[in-house]
Amino acid sequence: MNMVQQFDPAQVDYSQDLGTPGAESDVMVTVRIDGMPVSVPEGTSVMRAAAMVGANIPKLCATDNLNAFGSCRLCLVEIEGRPGTPASCTTPCAEGMSVHTQTPRLDKLRKGVMELYISDHPLDCLTCPANGDCELQDMAGAVGLRDVRYGTEGENHLDRGKDESNPYFTFDSSKCIVCSRCVRACSEVQGTFALTIAGRGFGSQVSPSEQQPFLDSECVSCGACVQACPTATLQEKSVIDLGVPSRKVKTTCAYCGVGCSFTAELRGDEVVRMVPDKQGGANEGHSCVKGRFAWGYAQHQDRVTTPMVRDSIEDEWRPVEWDEAINFAADRLNAIKSKHGVDAIGGITSSRCTNEEVYVVQKMVRAAFGTNNIDTCARVCHSPTGYGLKQTFGTSAGTQDFSSVEQADAILVIGANPTDAHPVFGSRMKRRLREGADLIVIDPRSIDLVRSPHIRAEHHLQLMPGTNVAVLNAISHVVATEGLMDDDFVYERCNKTSFNAWVDFISLPENSPEALADITGVDAETVRAAARAYATAGNGAIYYGLGVTEHSQGSTMVMAMANLAMATGNIGRLGVGVNPLRGQNNVQGSCDMGSFPHEFVGYRHVSDDTVREQFSSVWGVTLREDPGMRIPNMLDSAVSGDFKGIYIQGEDIAQSDPNTNHVAEALKAMECVIVQDLFLNETSHFAHVFLPGTSFLEKDGTFTNAERRINRVRPVMTSRTGLSEWEATCALSEAMGYPMPYESASEIMDEIAQLTPTFAGVSFDLLDKLGSVQWPCNEQAPEGTPIMHKDAFVRGEGQFMTTPYVPTDERSTRKFPLLLTTGRILSQYNVGAQTRRTDNVVWHAEDVLDIHEADAEARGVKDGDWIEITSRAGQTRMRARISDDIPAGVVYTTFHHPVSGTNVITTDNSDWATNCPEYKVTAVEIRPSSEQRA
Amino acid sequence: MSTSGDYKQQHLIKMANQIAHSMPTRDDIAGQISAHMRQFWPSEMQQTLRQIASENPDLLSEDVHNALQSL
Repeated sequence: MNMVQQFDPAQVDYSQDLGTPGAESDVMVTVRIDGMPVSVPEGTSVMRAAAMVGANIPKLCATDNLNAFGSCRLCLVEIEGRPGTPASCTTPCAEGMSVHTQTPRLDKLRKGVMELYISDHPLDCLTCPANGDCELQDMAGAVGLRDVRYGTEGENHLDRGKDESNPYFTFDSSKCIVCSRCVRACSEVQGTFALTIAGRGFGSQVSPSEQQPFLDSECVSCGACVQACPTATLQEKSVIDLGVPSRKVKTTCAYCGVGCSFTAELRGDEVVRMVPDKQGGANEGHSCVKGRFAWGYAQHQDRVTTPMVRDSIEDEWRPVEWDEAINFAADRLNAIKSKHGVDAIGGITSSRCTNEEVYVVQKMVRAAFGTNNIDTCARVCHSPTGYGLKQTFGTSAGTQDFSSVEQADAILVIGANPTDAHPVFGSRMKRRLREGADLIVIDPRSIDLVRSPHIRAEHHLQLMPGTNVAVLNAISHVVATEGLMDDDFVYERCNKTSFNAWVDFISLPENSPEALADITGVDAETVRAAARAYATAGNGAIYYGLGVTEHSQGSTMVMAMANLAMATGNIGRLGVGVNPLRGQNNVQGSCDMGSFPHEFVGYRHVSDDTVREQFSSVWGVTLREDPGMRIPNMLDSAVSGDFKGIYIQGEDIAQSDPNTNHVAEALKAMECVIVQDLFLNETSHFAHVFLPGTSFLEKDGTFTNAERRINRVRPVMTSRTGLSEWEATCALSEAMGYPMPYESASEIMDEIAQLTPTFAGVSFDLLDKLGSVQWPCNEQAPEGTPIMHKDAFVRGEGQFMTTPYVPTDERSTRKFPLLLTTGRILSQYNVGAQTRRTDNVVWHAEDVLDIHEADAEARGVKDGDWIEITSRAGQTRMRARISDDIPAGVVYTTFHHPVSGTNVITTDNSDWATNCPEYKVTAVEIRPSSEQRA
Repeated sequence: MSTSGDYKQQHLIKMANQIAHSMPTRDDIAGQISAHMRQFWPSEMQQTLRQIASENPDLLSEDVHNALQSL
């Protein structure tokens, strides 16, 4: 009888810390760990192999998201035929190796090591915030430490002070064992290199920057160091305040389009901390300052949890029961319908809400309101992505998964600032750049990626705002005229007629870098070098953001990038692609869910009889075949008196949409404005009904991130409002005469799957089983589709589009000589409704205007001065900050604080195809201001 | 057209002319514009544009006028 226990790979618990990262190899080696055979990929450490078979070797400096370091000397093992006791974390498995993890010799050595650690560690376990959640404590137990021969009276570090400068975590150096996990997490995982070990020998200590407090250092507060710390040296303040968590719920972050998976750790109904899930497909265990720490807004005192109504926006709000609020809203909307017709009302969905919540809102508008006047906040961010990628590739979606960047050889970042706006993906990208991939940045600003520790953009095309298409045309011109195209790819995969027309167009002399240099401000050689780098690297990958879409030629620019990728064969495999970095957590999902006025769920036009009849049949109602109005059309119609009522889900258009004065005028003109939100936002000043929304911690449903990954959002705590948002929407729909009797969010997803070919295989059960899935997910791809357009484009043949550069009407003039461009920063999110209600304000308490020294000096403006900013749309005030991140002639600001009124000055210019506002180009003038606020 | 009641019309004129000016492929530009409007514009906006073309033809480009013939 064979008594040897067999290793079963399926039984490995990858959620536990396996000590060192996994190895990737086609070659398997078989070793024996304490007699048990295990086969692992070549390069796997002995420590990991042992953990896989349940033989957990004591460790302190090792953790499986960091490269092995071999410093703590606790993980020593004995290997038959080899001398000494090597560290298991740094020793790779070799064929036939026989390892012993527990021997009297090892026990003695480990005890000795632990004695040394504990001799210089506070013996305050019972009052330590990490009591019960401390690896040092665990290891002392694991090695059987019972006494410390050296005592605790010798020279030590116990009187070192505590750094409490960071709002979210403390640094207590007296508890530090100098294992370097925090330092390595900061460099390897986050890529910021803010931490180091200062000093030598006994004087070695962890140091933020050059022994500065954390808050004053380069630290970006991602928390990777806190997560990595095996003691209470780096500790969340929430754990110190509340105690060690007692239960866990897996869910998804509600900030940017990366869509990180987290484990919410709670005590009862109170969140103690958010820990990024290392099995999360989007983030693989990493997070940023917002996702990990800035969730306190969910319990902020400003949160409104009771429905409210008022007859007029001049009246005070009147808190009411849900039934009264729903009936009030339904009566008003029905009255408008009766008097002015169904097209006098409409709705806006939110990219901060779940797919299920969005789906029921657009269904209510189409079925209960009886109109296609439904739009989404994606209108003002990525609607050109939808248009451009559908024209060229056949569907509105990024082509890759995030991990694809690990295979990229040249990375082209256009109008995006990943380290601030998509920080977890930014860290992943930086890792690849440190490995040697080339970086090309096309941006008016010197974003962090242009130059930061161990990162340098080989090519920075610092173009003038509004000239994206000219620059892309110039790059493509070089590709087409220097023989850098992938002819085989084009021949096999693309439409020849459109390709030939494109080549003829792009090869014209007027599209050469030399001809366009005066327009773009980028010299021709820089463009040529960048084009060659992208086209000849092997795998060229494009990542872009709102600096592409929020222009009058946003859609043209998306098509220009698609052309470039197709012409160079950079589509349909790992390491390449055209990838929109979505601004909000569920931009992709809200677009997928039929939020655009011309499309049902799954991007199918409302005029398609077959599709419309399918929806009509399932929904039991006749549906309109003509498109509805977009947000700007609804607002224009409101101002002209034709549009009277709107349902706004989780969106603050009075702050986020351009030309605030016009938005306000439109909202004031309506007879029924319904706002569903967490807080009384700027838009609610014009509302008649306020329906309290739920935070992501209360939601049950799914978000879809920028890589089309559908992630579960699970209720971490009970709803503070008494109703889920989808339940409130369904109640309103029913009160208007169209019941939507769902029992659960899962049931809503089942209907989405029934009606949407790309979601046909999606269900909550599948998501719970797989963790997440990337659409299309159906019979052809039962576990999803990480890479799109592999063998053929969704539309069949890739379609080239000619992309003539058309200058925006918004140009600098003598009256408005500077070009304002806008963006976001790491610590804040969009209009700041969430992050302003957290301690993140310590990093960004107000919006400021970045201005080049020459422009400031010419206007008598000094750093920190209050200035007045005027455009043809309006005027506002904020402080100036002298910056060399922007060229002369360009100014830059953020829009995170309503008091800044950034969108008071942005204009109503928009993308020609989609009406996405041109936030990125506003001609302005500035002058010193004696007053502080408008 | 400076009153608030004209705002909608001003924007429609701007949108239509911008579509005509920016449409990437210039072949059958009128057909492309009308197809774009059918795909993305509500019937009421199309009707208002026809009205503008009739009452203030100078405000719309020739391509837009041609597109309206087939809209």
